[in-house]
Amino acid sequence: MKKLIPVLFLGLMAIGLLLILNSCNDNADGDPNPQTGAGGSMARFAITGNTLYIVSDQSLEVYDIGDGGNPAKAVSKNLGVGIETIFPYQQNLFVGAADGMYIYNNSKPNDPVFMSKYTHVLSCDPVVVQGKYAYVTLRAGMTCRPGGGFSSLDVIDISDPTRPAMVGTQRMDSPYGLGVSGNKLFVCEGDKGFRVMDISKPAEPVSKAFYQQVAAYDVIVRNNHLIITGNKGLFQYKYDDSDSIQYLSKIPVL
Amino acid sequence: MKRALLAACLTLLMLSCYYRDSEPFIGNVKFDGTGYRPIYATAEEVAKVAVSTAKPLKTPGKIYTFDRYLFINESGEGIHIIDNADPKNPENLSFISIMGNYDIAVKGNWLYADNMSTLLVIDITDPKSPKVVKSIPNAIPTRNYPSMQGIYFECPDSQKGVVVDWEKISMDKQPKCYR
Repeated sequence: MKKLIPVLFLGLMAIGLLLILNSCNDNADGDPNPQTGAGGSMARFAITGNTLYIVSDQSLEVYDIGDGGNPAKAVSKNLGVGIETIFPYQQNLFVGAADGMYIYNNSKPNDPVFMSKYTHVLSCDPVVVQGKYAYVTLRAGMTCRPGGGFSSLDVIDISDPTRPAMVGTQRMDSPYGLGVSGNKLFVCEGDKGFRVMDISKPAEPVSKAFYQQVAAYDVIVRNNHLIITGNKGLFQYKYDDSDSIQYLSKIPVL
Repeated sequence: MKRALLAACLTLLMLSCYYRDSEPFIGNVKFDGTGYRPIYATAEEVAKVAVSTAKPLKTPGKIYTFDRYLFINESGEGIHIIDNADPKNPENLSFISIMGNYDIAVKGNWLYADNMSTLLVIDITDPKSPKVVKSIPNAIPTRNYPSMQGIYFECPDSQKGVVVDWEKISMDKQPKCYR
Protein backbone atom coordinates (compact mmCIF):
# COMPACT_ATOMS: atom_id res chain seq x y z
CA MET A 1 0.00 0.00 0.00
CA LYS A 2 2.77 2.41 1.02
CA LYS A 3 4.41 1.92 -2.34
CA LEU A 4 1.30 3.13 -4.07
CA ILE A 5 1.31 6.55 -2.42
CA PRO A 6 4.10 8.13 -4.51
CA VAL A 7 2.46 6.70 -7.64
CA LEU A 8 -0.87 8.23 -6.68
CA PHE A 9 0.84 11.49 -5.89
CA LEU A 10 2.59 11.61 -9.24
CA GLY A 11 -0.65 10.68 -10.97
CA LEU A 12 -2.51 13.54 -9.31
CA MET A 13 0.29 15.95 -10.21
CA ALA A 14 0.10 14.86 -13.82
CA ILE A 15 -3.67 15.39 -13.89
CA GLY A 16 -3.25 18.81 -12.28
CA LEU A 17 -0.61 19.80 -14.80
CA LEU A 18 -2.80 18.65 -17.67
CA LEU A 19 -5.68 20.74 -16.33
CA ILE A 20 -3.49 23.80 -16.07
CA LEU A 21 -2.07 23.35 -19.56
CA ASN A 22 -5.52 22.74 -20.93
CA SER A 23 -6.90 25.93 -19.42
CA CYS A 24 -4.05 27.87 -21.01
CA ASN A 25 -4.82 26.31 -24.32
CA ASP A 26 -8.41 27.53 -24.12
CA ASN A 27 -7.25 31.12 -24.00
CA ALA A 28 -4.51 30.79 -26.55
CA ASP A 29 -6.51 31.96 -29.55
CA GLY A 30 -6.97 35.47 -28.25
CA ASP A 31 -10.73 35.19 -27.95
CA PRO A 32 -11.27 35.78 -24.26
CA ASN A 33 -14.17 33.41 -24.16
CA PRO A 34 -14.61 30.89 -26.94
CA GLN A 35 -17.26 29.02 -24.97
CA THR A 36 -19.68 31.89 -24.68
CA GLY A 37 -21.45 33.98 -27.26
CA ALA A 38 -22.37 37.61 -27.58
CA GLY A 39 -25.56 39.46 -26.87
CA GLY A 40 -26.78 42.90 -27.81
CA SER A 41 -26.53 46.04 -25.71
CA MET A 42 -30.12 45.68 -24.50
CA ALA A 43 -29.35 42.39 -22.72
CA ARG A 44 -30.21 41.72 -19.10
CA PHE A 45 -28.18 38.48 -19.21
CA ALA A 46 -24.42 38.37 -19.65
CA ILE A 47 -21.87 35.62 -19.28
CA THR A 48 -18.17 36.05 -18.61
CA GLY A 49 -16.10 32.94 -18.00
CA ASN A 50 -18.03 30.78 -15.59
CA THR A 51 -20.35 33.47 -14.33
CA LEU A 52 -23.86 34.35 -15.42
CA TYR A 53 -24.99 37.87 -14.55
CA ILE A 54 -28.66 38.76 -14.59
CA VAL A 55 -30.00 42.21 -13.92
CA SER A 56 -33.58 42.35 -12.72
CA ASP A 57 -35.51 45.56 -12.32
CA GLN A 58 -33.65 46.33 -9.12
CA SER A 59 -30.85 43.85 -8.54
CA LEU A 60 -27.81 42.13 -9.94
CA GLU A 61 -28.09 38.36 -9.60
CA VAL A 62 -24.87 36.38 -9.92
CA TYR A 63 -24.76 32.66 -10.76
CA ASP A 64 -21.76 30.37 -10.93
CA ILE A 65 -22.10 28.25 -14.07
CA GLY A 66 -18.85 26.32 -13.74
CA ASP A 67 -21.19 23.36 -13.94
CA GLY A 68 -23.23 24.67 -16.87
CA GLY A 69 -26.26 22.49 -16.29
CA ASN A 70 -26.43 23.45 -12.64
CA PRO A 71 -26.21 27.19 -12.01
CA ALA A 72 -25.41 27.96 -8.38
CA LYS A 73 -26.44 31.29 -6.91
CA ALA A 74 -23.32 33.18 -5.87
CA VAL A 75 -24.64 36.52 -4.71
CA SER A 76 -27.39 39.06 -5.19
CA LYS A 77 -26.74 42.80 -5.11
CA ASN A 78 -29.45 45.31 -4.59
CA LEU A 79 -29.01 48.18 -7.03
CA GLY A 80 -31.91 50.54 -6.78
CA VAL A 81 -34.65 50.88 -9.33
CA GLY A 82 -35.15 50.78 -13.05
CA ILE A 83 -32.21 48.58 -14.02
CA GLU A 84 -32.25 47.95 -17.76
CA THR A 85 -29.09 46.41 -19.19
CA ILE A 86 -25.69 44.87 -18.42
CA PHE A 87 -22.50 45.03 -20.48
CA PRO A 88 -19.33 43.27 -19.32
CA TYR A 89 -16.03 44.78 -20.49
CA GLN A 90 -12.66 43.54 -19.31
CA GLN A 91 -12.62 43.83 -15.50
CA ASN A 92 -15.85 45.73 -15.20
CA LEU A 93 -19.59 45.37 -15.49
CA PHE A 94 -21.50 48.33 -16.87
CA VAL A 95 -25.10 48.42 -15.76
CA GLY A 96 -27.52 50.71 -17.53
CA ALA A 97 -30.34 51.99 -15.33
CA ALA A 98 -33.16 54.47 -15.63
CA ASP A 99 -31.22 56.97 -13.55
CA GLY A 100 -27.68 56.37 -14.70
CA MET A 101 -24.87 53.92 -15.23
CA TYR A 102 -23.36 51.76 -12.51
CA ILE A 103 -19.83 50.38 -12.74
CA TYR A 104 -18.94 47.19 -10.88
CA ASN A 105 -15.50 45.64 -10.78
CA ASN A 106 -15.71 41.90 -11.37
CA SER A 107 -12.11 40.85 -10.84
CA LYS A 108 -13.73 38.42 -8.44
CA PRO A 109 -16.44 37.22 -10.83
CA ASN A 110 -18.70 35.81 -8.15
CA ASP A 111 -18.63 38.93 -6.04
CA PRO A 112 -18.73 42.15 -8.09
CA VAL A 113 -17.72 45.26 -6.21
CA PHE A 114 -19.45 48.61 -6.70
CA MET A 115 -17.10 51.24 -8.12
CA SER A 116 -19.22 54.21 -9.06
CA LYS A 117 -22.46 55.51 -10.44
CA TYR A 118 -22.71 58.01 -13.21
CA THR A 119 -26.00 59.81 -12.81
CA HIS A 120 -27.99 61.82 -15.25
CA VAL A 121 -31.58 62.57 -16.10
CA LEU A 122 -34.15 59.78 -16.11
CA SER A 123 -34.30 57.82 -19.34
CA CYS A 124 -33.63 54.41 -20.86
CA ASP A 125 -29.96 53.68 -21.19
CA PRO A 126 -28.11 50.82 -22.78
CA VAL A 127 -24.34 51.17 -22.65
CA VAL A 128 -21.40 49.77 -24.61
CA VAL A 129 -17.71 50.22 -23.85
CA GLN A 130 -14.50 50.29 -25.84
CA GLY A 131 -11.10 51.37 -24.60
CA LYS A 132 -11.47 54.22 -22.13
CA TYR A 133 -14.92 55.34 -23.23
CA ALA A 134 -18.47 54.22 -22.55
CA TYR A 135 -21.21 55.13 -25.01
CA VAL A 136 -24.68 55.50 -23.53
CA THR A 137 -27.90 56.28 -25.32
CA LEU A 138 -30.64 58.12 -23.49
CA ARG A 139 -34.08 57.80 -24.97
CA ALA A 140 -36.81 60.20 -24.06
CA GLY A 141 -40.26 58.69 -23.95
CA MET A 142 -43.28 57.79 -21.90
CA THR A 143 -41.97 54.63 -20.27
CA CYS A 144 -38.46 55.96 -19.83
CA ARG A 145 -38.67 59.59 -19.04
CA PRO A 146 -42.02 60.99 -18.01
CA GLY A 147 -42.47 64.55 -19.07
CA GLY A 148 -40.47 64.52 -22.30
CA GLY A 149 -37.00 65.88 -22.78
CA PHE A 150 -34.85 64.85 -25.67
CA SER A 151 -32.80 61.82 -26.62
CA SER A 152 -29.04 61.81 -26.71
CA LEU A 153 -25.81 59.87 -27.06
CA ASP A 154 -23.38 60.50 -24.23
CA VAL A 155 -19.68 59.68 -24.23
CA ILE A 156 -18.25 58.97 -20.80
CA ASP A 157 -14.58 58.69 -19.95
CA ILE A 158 -14.25 55.60 -17.76
CA SER A 159 -10.45 55.37 -17.65
CA ASP A 160 -10.86 55.76 -13.89
CA PRO A 161 -13.90 53.57 -13.16
CA THR A 162 -14.33 55.19 -9.78
CA ARG A 163 -14.74 58.61 -11.42
CA PRO A 164 -16.66 58.41 -14.70
CA ALA A 165 -16.84 61.78 -16.44
CA MET A 166 -18.96 62.90 -19.38
CA VAL A 167 -16.85 64.22 -22.23
CA GLY A 168 -19.49 64.67 -24.91
CA THR A 169 -23.19 64.57 -25.69
CA GLN A 170 -25.23 64.93 -28.85
CA ARG A 171 -28.87 64.69 -29.91
CA MET A 172 -30.31 61.42 -31.19
CA ASP A 173 -33.74 60.66 -32.66
CA SER A 174 -34.97 57.70 -30.68
CA PRO A 175 -32.03 55.53 -29.70
CA TYR A 176 -32.35 51.96 -28.40
CA GLY A 177 -29.43 49.52 -28.56
CA LEU A 178 -25.96 50.30 -29.81
CA GLY A 179 -22.79 48.50 -30.81
CA VAL A 180 -19.14 49.44 -31.05
CA SER A 181 -16.18 47.96 -32.91
CA GLY A 182 -12.90 49.55 -33.97
CA ASN A 183 -13.60 53.06 -35.27
CA LYS A 184 -17.34 52.45 -35.79
CA LEU A 185 -20.25 53.08 -33.49
CA PHE A 186 -23.70 51.84 -34.54
CA VAL A 187 -26.86 53.26 -33.03
CA CYS A 188 -30.30 51.67 -33.38
CA GLU A 189 -32.88 54.42 -33.69
CA GLY A 190 -36.00 52.23 -33.43
CA ASP A 191 -38.49 52.73 -36.28
CA LYS A 192 -36.54 55.77 -37.44
CA GLY A 193 -33.62 53.68 -38.68
CA PHE A 194 -30.01 52.68 -38.17
CA ARG A 195 -27.13 55.10 -37.69
CA VAL A 196 -23.46 54.54 -38.55
CA MET A 197 -21.00 56.78 -36.72
CA ASP A 198 -17.27 57.27 -36.96
CA ILE A 199 -15.30 57.21 -33.72
CA SER A 200 -11.78 57.64 -35.07
CA LYS A 201 -11.72 60.27 -32.36
CA PRO A 202 -13.34 58.08 -29.68
CA ALA A 203 -14.64 60.98 -27.60
CA GLU A 204 -16.31 62.62 -30.59
CA PRO A 205 -18.62 60.31 -32.55
CA VAL A 206 -19.55 61.73 -35.95
CA SER A 207 -22.71 60.64 -37.76
CA LYS A 208 -21.76 59.28 -41.20
CA ALA A 209 -24.80 57.45 -42.54
CA PHE A 210 -28.41 56.94 -41.59
CA TYR A 211 -30.43 54.02 -42.99
CA GLN A 212 -34.10 54.87 -42.61
CA GLN A 213 -35.29 51.60 -44.13
CA VAL A 214 -33.58 49.54 -41.40
CA ALA A 215 -35.87 49.54 -38.36
CA ALA A 216 -33.46 48.77 -35.55
CA TYR A 217 -33.97 47.88 -31.90
CA ASP A 218 -30.69 46.17 -31.09
CA VAL A 219 -27.46 45.18 -32.83
CA ILE A 220 -24.61 42.73 -32.44
CA VAL A 221 -21.33 43.72 -34.08
CA ARG A 222 -18.78 41.00 -34.77
CA ASN A 223 -16.00 40.72 -37.34
CA ASN A 224 -17.38 43.37 -39.71
CA HIS A 225 -20.77 41.71 -39.46
CA LEU A 226 -23.95 43.37 -38.18
CA ILE A 227 -26.94 41.48 -36.84
CA ILE A 228 -29.85 43.85 -36.34
CA THR A 229 -33.36 43.23 -34.96
CA GLY A 230 -36.27 45.54 -35.36
CA ASN A 231 -39.99 45.45 -35.88
CA LYS A 232 -39.58 44.36 -39.50
CA GLY A 233 -37.46 41.34 -38.62
CA LEU A 234 -33.83 40.36 -38.38
CA PHE A 235 -31.40 41.92 -40.84
CA GLN A 236 -27.77 41.05 -41.48
CA TYR A 237 -25.21 43.33 -43.08
CA LYS A 238 -21.49 43.44 -43.51
CA TYR A 239 -19.43 46.59 -43.44
CA ASP A 240 -15.88 47.70 -44.21
CA ASP A 241 -13.80 50.82 -43.65
CA SER A 242 -16.22 52.91 -45.68
CA ASP A 243 -19.38 54.17 -44.02
CA SER A 244 -21.74 52.04 -46.09
CA ILE A 245 -23.23 48.71 -45.12
CA GLN A 246 -23.95 45.82 -47.50
CA TYR A 247 -27.08 43.74 -47.20
CA LEU A 248 -26.62 40.01 -46.55
CA SER A 249 -30.03 38.63 -45.62
CA LYS A 250 -33.20 39.07 -43.62
CA ILE A 251 -35.67 37.00 -41.69
CA PRO A 252 -38.84 39.02 -42.09
CA VAL A 253 -41.66 39.44 -39.60
CA LEU A 254 -44.71 37.60 -40.89
CA MET B 1 -31.09 37.55 30.81
CA LYS B 2 -29.65 35.52 27.96
CA ARG B 3 -33.09 34.31 27.09
CA ALA B 4 -34.49 37.82 27.00
CA LEU B 5 -31.67 38.90 24.74
CA LEU B 6 -32.32 35.96 22.42
CA ALA B 7 -36.02 36.77 22.31
CA ALA B 8 -35.23 40.40 21.53
CA CYS B 9 -32.87 39.40 18.74
CA LEU B 10 -35.41 37.01 17.27
CA THR B 11 -38.07 39.68 17.33
CA LEU B 12 -35.76 42.12 15.61
CA LEU B 13 -34.90 39.50 12.99
CA MET B 14 -38.57 38.85 12.35
CA LEU B 15 -39.28 42.53 12.09
CA SER B 16 -36.55 42.96 9.50
CA CYS B 17 -38.28 40.38 7.34
CA TYR B 18 -41.69 41.95 7.73
CA TYR B 19 -42.85 42.73 4.26
CA ARG B 20 -44.63 45.99 3.87
CA ASP B 21 -46.52 46.53 0.68
CA SER B 22 -45.86 50.18 0.14
CA GLU B 23 -49.10 52.08 0.03
CA PRO B 24 -49.64 53.27 -3.53
CA PHE B 25 -49.62 57.02 -3.45
CA ILE B 26 -51.81 58.94 -5.82
CA GLY B 27 -49.67 60.92 -8.14
CA ASN B 28 -50.00 64.26 -9.77
CA VAL B 29 -51.32 62.83 -13.03
CA LYS B 30 -55.07 63.20 -13.42
CA PHE B 31 -57.06 60.02 -13.99
CA ASP B 32 -58.17 60.11 -17.63
CA GLY B 33 -60.59 57.17 -17.62
CA THR B 34 -57.99 54.64 -18.66
CA GLY B 35 -55.76 52.34 -16.67
CA TYR B 36 -53.84 49.12 -16.82
CA ARG B 37 -55.31 45.76 -15.89
CA PRO B 38 -53.18 42.72 -15.06
CA ILE B 39 -53.39 39.69 -17.32
CA TYR B 40 -53.15 36.58 -15.20
CA ALA B 41 -52.01 33.04 -15.89
CA THR B 42 -51.86 30.00 -13.65
CA ALA B 43 -48.50 28.76 -12.38
CA GLU B 44 -48.89 25.68 -14.62
CA GLU B 45 -49.44 27.81 -17.71
CA VAL B 46 -46.38 29.91 -16.91
CA ALA B 47 -44.17 26.85 -16.38
CA LYS B 48 -45.20 25.14 -19.62
CA VAL B 49 -42.30 25.03 -22.10
CA ALA B 50 -42.81 23.51 -25.54
CA VAL B 51 -40.43 22.94 -28.44
CA SER B 52 -41.79 23.10 -31.95
CA THR B 53 -40.57 23.36 -35.52
CA ALA B 54 -39.49 26.78 -36.79
CA LYS B 55 -41.99 29.64 -36.49
CA PRO B 56 -42.00 32.98 -38.29
CA LEU B 57 -40.88 36.07 -36.34
CA LYS B 58 -43.67 38.28 -35.00
CA THR B 59 -42.17 40.68 -32.47
CA PRO B 60 -38.45 40.00 -32.39
CA GLY B 61 -36.69 41.26 -29.27
CA LYS B 62 -33.16 40.63 -28.09
CA ILE B 63 -30.59 38.62 -29.98
CA TYR B 64 -27.65 36.42 -29.04
CA THR B 65 -25.03 34.70 -31.18
CA PHE B 66 -23.04 31.66 -30.29
CA ASP B 67 -20.86 29.62 -32.61
CA ARG B 68 -22.87 29.21 -35.81
CA TYR B 69 -26.20 29.80 -34.09
CA LEU B 70 -28.34 32.83 -33.63
CA PHE B 71 -30.97 33.07 -30.92
CA ILE B 72 -33.79 35.54 -31.39
CA ASN B 73 -36.18 36.32 -28.58
CA GLU B 74 -39.84 36.51 -29.50
CA SER B 75 -40.96 39.19 -27.02
CA GLY B 76 -42.55 37.50 -24.04
CA GLU B 77 -43.12 34.24 -25.92
CA GLY B 78 -39.91 32.30 -26.44
CA ILE B 79 -36.80 31.74 -28.53
CA HIS B 80 -36.18 31.16 -32.23
CA ILE B 81 -33.05 29.10 -32.93
CA ILE B 82 -31.42 29.94 -36.25
CA ASP B 83 -28.52 28.25 -38.00
CA ASN B 84 -26.48 31.22 -39.19
CA ALA B 85 -23.45 29.36 -40.55
CA ASP B 86 -24.10 31.23 -43.80
CA PRO B 87 -25.31 34.75 -42.89
CA LYS B 88 -26.61 35.10 -46.45
CA ASN B 89 -28.94 32.16 -45.88
CA PRO B 90 -29.91 31.86 -42.23
CA GLU B 91 -31.98 28.77 -41.57
CA ASN B 92 -34.74 28.88 -38.98
CA LEU B 93 -34.43 25.60 -37.03
CA SER B 94 -36.82 25.55 -34.12
CA PHE B 95 -38.85 27.51 -31.60
CA ILE B 96 -38.95 27.13 -27.83
CA SER B 97 -42.16 28.51 -26.42
CA ILE B 98 -41.52 30.11 -23.00
CA MET B 99 -43.96 32.47 -21.34
CA GLY B 100 -42.47 35.76 -20.21
CA ASN B 101 -39.17 35.22 -22.00
CA TYR B 102 -37.12 38.26 -23.03
CA ASP B 103 -33.50 37.32 -22.34
CA ILE B 104 -31.04 34.68 -23.43
CA ALA B 105 -27.38 33.79 -22.98
CA VAL B 106 -25.34 30.77 -24.01
CA LYS B 107 -22.31 28.95 -22.68
CA GLY B 108 -21.26 25.77 -24.43
CA ASN B 109 -24.30 23.55 -24.84
CA TRP B 110 -26.32 25.45 -22.28
CA LEU B 111 -28.87 28.09 -23.07
CA TYR B 112 -30.07 30.25 -20.17
CA ALA B 113 -33.45 31.90 -20.47
CA ASP B 114 -35.89 33.77 -18.26
CA ASN B 115 -39.39 32.41 -17.76
CA MET B 116 -41.02 35.19 -15.75
CA SER B 117 -39.11 34.96 -12.43
CA THR B 118 -37.77 31.48 -13.18
CA LEU B 119 -34.35 30.81 -14.73
CA LEU B 120 -34.36 27.94 -17.23
CA VAL B 121 -31.34 25.90 -18.30
CA ILE B 122 -31.84 24.37 -21.73
CA ASP B 123 -29.60 21.75 -23.33
CA ILE B 124 -29.02 22.77 -26.95
CA THR B 125 -26.65 19.98 -27.94
CA ASP B 126 -29.21 19.27 -30.63
CA PRO B 127 -30.55 22.73 -31.54
CA LYS B 128 -33.46 21.16 -33.39
CA SER B 129 -34.71 19.59 -30.20
CA PRO B 130 -33.64 21.65 -27.21
CA LYS B 131 -34.47 20.22 -23.79
CA VAL B 132 -35.13 21.98 -20.49
CA VAL B 133 -32.86 20.34 -17.94
CA LYS B 134 -33.36 22.63 -14.99
CA SER B 135 -35.61 25.38 -13.76
CA ILE B 136 -34.70 27.61 -10.85
CA PRO B 137 -37.74 29.35 -9.38
CA ASN B 138 -37.55 32.91 -8.01
CA ALA B 139 -34.15 33.43 -9.61
CA ILE B 140 -35.07 36.77 -11.15
CA PRO B 141 -36.98 39.24 -9.02
CA THR B 142 -39.84 40.55 -11.16
CA ARG B 143 -41.91 43.65 -10.65
CA ASN B 144 -45.56 43.43 -9.96
CA TYR B 145 -46.57 46.63 -11.75
CA PRO B 146 -46.58 47.94 -15.32
CA SER B 147 -43.36 49.38 -16.72
CA MET B 148 -44.97 52.71 -17.63
CA GLN B 149 -44.94 55.63 -15.26
CA GLY B 150 -47.53 58.24 -14.51
CA ILE B 151 -50.32 55.71 -14.92
CA TYR B 152 -53.10 54.13 -12.88
CA PHE B 153 -53.47 50.38 -12.61
CA GLU B 154 -55.55 47.74 -10.93
CA CYS B 155 -53.62 46.39 -7.95
CA PRO B 156 -52.53 42.82 -8.68
CA ASP B 157 -54.16 40.04 -6.69
CA SER B 158 -51.94 36.98 -6.21
CA GLN B 159 -55.07 34.89 -5.60
CA LYS B 160 -55.89 35.27 -9.28
CA GLY B 161 -52.55 33.89 -10.47
CA VAL B 162 -49.30 35.22 -11.83
CA VAL B 163 -49.30 38.58 -13.64
CA VAL B 164 -47.89 37.90 -17.09
CA ASP B 165 -48.74 41.17 -18.80
CA TRP B 166 -50.70 44.40 -18.56
CA GLU B 167 -53.40 45.74 -20.85
CA LYS B 168 -54.63 49.27 -21.15
CA ILE B 169 -58.39 49.53 -20.84
CA SER B 170 -60.96 52.21 -20.11
CA MET B 171 -62.06 52.24 -16.48
CA ASP B 172 -65.12 53.82 -14.85
CA LYS B 173 -63.46 54.14 -11.49
CA GLN B 174 -59.98 55.32 -10.68
CA PRO B 175 -57.99 52.22 -9.68
CA LYS B 176 -56.17 52.19 -6.34
CA CYS B 177 -52.66 51.72 -7.68
CA TYR B 178 -50.56 54.41 -9.31
CA ARG B 179 -46.98 54.82 -10.36
